[in-house]
Amino acid sequence: MRRLAGVLRIVAAAVLLLGVSPNAPLHAAGASPQAESASEQSLAIIVNQSNPVDNVSFQELRTIFLGERSHWPNGRRITLVMLEAGQPERKVMLRIIYRMTESDFSRHFLQGLFTGEVFVSPKTLASPVGVRKFVFNVPGAIGYVRASDVDSTVKVIRVDGRLPEDKDYALRMTGHSVK
Amino acid sequence: MRKRLSRVARGGAHSSLQLIDGFLHEVGRYSSTLLLLMVFCVETGVVVFVIRDLRAADREVQRIYAGSVLGLRQIGELQYQAQETRRSTLYALTTNDSNLQVEYADQSRAADRRVTDGIHDYLTHARTPSETDLGKRLEYDWSAYLKLRDEVLASILEGSIKEAVDFDLAGGVPSFDRVRRDLDDVKRLYDEQASSRLAIVDQASRRSAARLVGVLCFTLLFASVSVWAIQRAKMLSALKLAKLQMDFVASVSHELRTPLAVICASAQNIADGVVEEKEQLAKYGSVIRNQTRQLTELVNQILLFASTKEGRTHYVLRPLQVPQIIDAVLRNTRETVEHPTLTVEQQIESDLPEIIGDSSAIAQCVQNLMSNAVKYGGDHPRVTIRAFVDRSHDHRDEVCVSVEDRGIGIDGSEIPHIFDPFYRSPAVAAAQIHGTGLGLPLAKNIAEAMGGRLTVVSKLGVGSVFTLHLPIRKRASEPIPVVQTDSLTRP
Repeated sequence: MRRLAGVLRIVAAAVLLLGVSPNAPLHAAGASPQAESASEQSLAIIVNQSNPVDNVSFQELRTIFLGERSHWPNGRRITLVMLEAGQPERKVMLRIIYRMTESDFSRHFLQGLFTGEVFVSPKTLASPVGVRKFVFNVPGAIGYVRASDVDSTVKVIRVDGRLPEDKDYALRMTGHSVK
Repeated sequence: MRKRLSRVARGGAHSSLQLIDGFLHEVGRYSSTLLLLMVFCVETGVVVFVIRDLRAADREVQRIYAGSVLGLRQIGELQYQAQETRRSTLYALTTNDSNLQVEYADQSRAADRRVTDGIHDYLTHARTPSETDLGKRLEYDWSAYLKLRDEVLASILEGSIKEAVDFDLAGGVPSFDRVRRDLDDVKRLYDEQASSRLAIVDQASRRSAARLVGVLCFTLLFASVSVWAIQRAKMLSALKLAKLQMDFVASVSHELRTPLAVICASAQNIADGVVEEKEQLAKYGSVIRNQTRQLTELVNQILLFASTKEGRTHYVLRPLQVPQIIDAVLRNTRETVEHPTLTVEQQIESDLPEIIGDSSAIAQCVQNLMSNAVKYGGDHPRVTIRAFVDRSHDHRDEVCVSVEDRGIGIDGSEIPHIFDPFYRSPAVAAAQIHGTGLGLPLAKNIAEAMGGRLTVVSKLGVGSVFTLHLPIRKRASEPIPVVQTDSLTRP
């Protein structure tokens, strides 16, 4: 199983190197129109405003969303927030972060919770607005919405030091078939 | 002693009544309209006063409504929203659906924002220290509850129901109880304020009613006094008129009886053959003629005055030369007045402009002035008659005919009354100077009917100047009214 995970990681790294480079340099402040257009098609990782974390690495993000980490550095319990199945944002997350299909995802959490490898079961919400409100109400919550759905009630954290408006941001929806 | 005191009191009351009568007499001269005007002014004042009082009471009631009733409604709303905040939080406990939980959390936060705004509004409008203290305490307790509510909501959304319930029982319930007590205290404070304001309004209402009764009593009293005063003024006026008429009758009787007695005696002497010589007969004839002329003059004067009073008179107006009128008057005076030492001086300006008027009426007016000047001019009457143009008048030039004597003059206090019909000065009556009291009123009526006026300047013991002011005919083409009604008919 672990070997399989290692293989998957190698494949994901190759995909990232070819498509989305997480190590690409940060853009200067003030995004260009093209960058803005790109940011509208990016997924923002949002946390509660009281959360002290501002930046996570892509790997840390994966660990968190896979439910393999239970608490934030400030001691708050992590609560994962997912959109319902079939939502474009969820598809992008499954592809980029989880690198799983829906059934793999369900199986991962069922199995993980049973074996104790997964500490957190994700909460499922119907809409990006619901996700945002959930994150606003729960200090340890982490979720994702389109960058255009972000407002001041939540905080967007950097992934590998990049924000959704940055060109080399890891969670871009551009180029993916989103329905 | 008692009799003396009562006499003094009666004297005081009598002098007060005299003062009132004097006042009423003065007021009566300008008719009772003045008194009615005063009553109207007082009534208007009362109405304004009552309206002001009612409006003040109305404003007070509105303030109570705004301050207490709306305040109570606001507190009721605060209580409801606070309950809503807690109820929505507890509803979130009843479901595992995260979407519903988020919706309940949203409802709870919306309600808590309304409560926070309401508390802020209450603090903004707090006027007393107790209101401010209570508002601050409520604000503090509400903030404490919200912190606990946030923890409970977070636990519910995380799925830690047991933890949420523990939080709520340990902190949320006592904290919300404190908020509820604070709101009850605010409500009680509003109740107390409303009660005290209601008492103020009740007091103000009683005060207004008392004022209203007082003012109405005063108005009633004032109206009664005014009616009494009007009636008394009318009665005094009627009494005065009756006295004047009695005096007139007595005077006329005397004026008629004296010539009649002379005529009768003369006729008796002639009939008895006492008068035989031709010279004596001529003298008696002259006496009878003069007395008859005097009688005729007197009767004419009375009839003339009566006709002017009844408004049946007519003037025939035409352009007149003033010197011609004066000549006629002087000629008539010389024929009728047989006074051995009478001196008449004339000062007539040349080129006097024409006037418009009735020649007979104006002659009658000047004749009356001349007769008076002779009658009251002392033992050696010296009369000056002047005619001149007065250009000092505001709007128009006038021809003035003044008759000046150097006789007994008129006291200043008598001057306002000398144009009253039948009025005779007590001093003149005492001096046995005969007259009817109609000469000057008649002259004044004629002057005013001609569009002019009659003025007098007099000094007691020095003499008097009566001046007839008549308007000048402006242009030769000026239309002349042929007949003017409400004037005097001349034969």
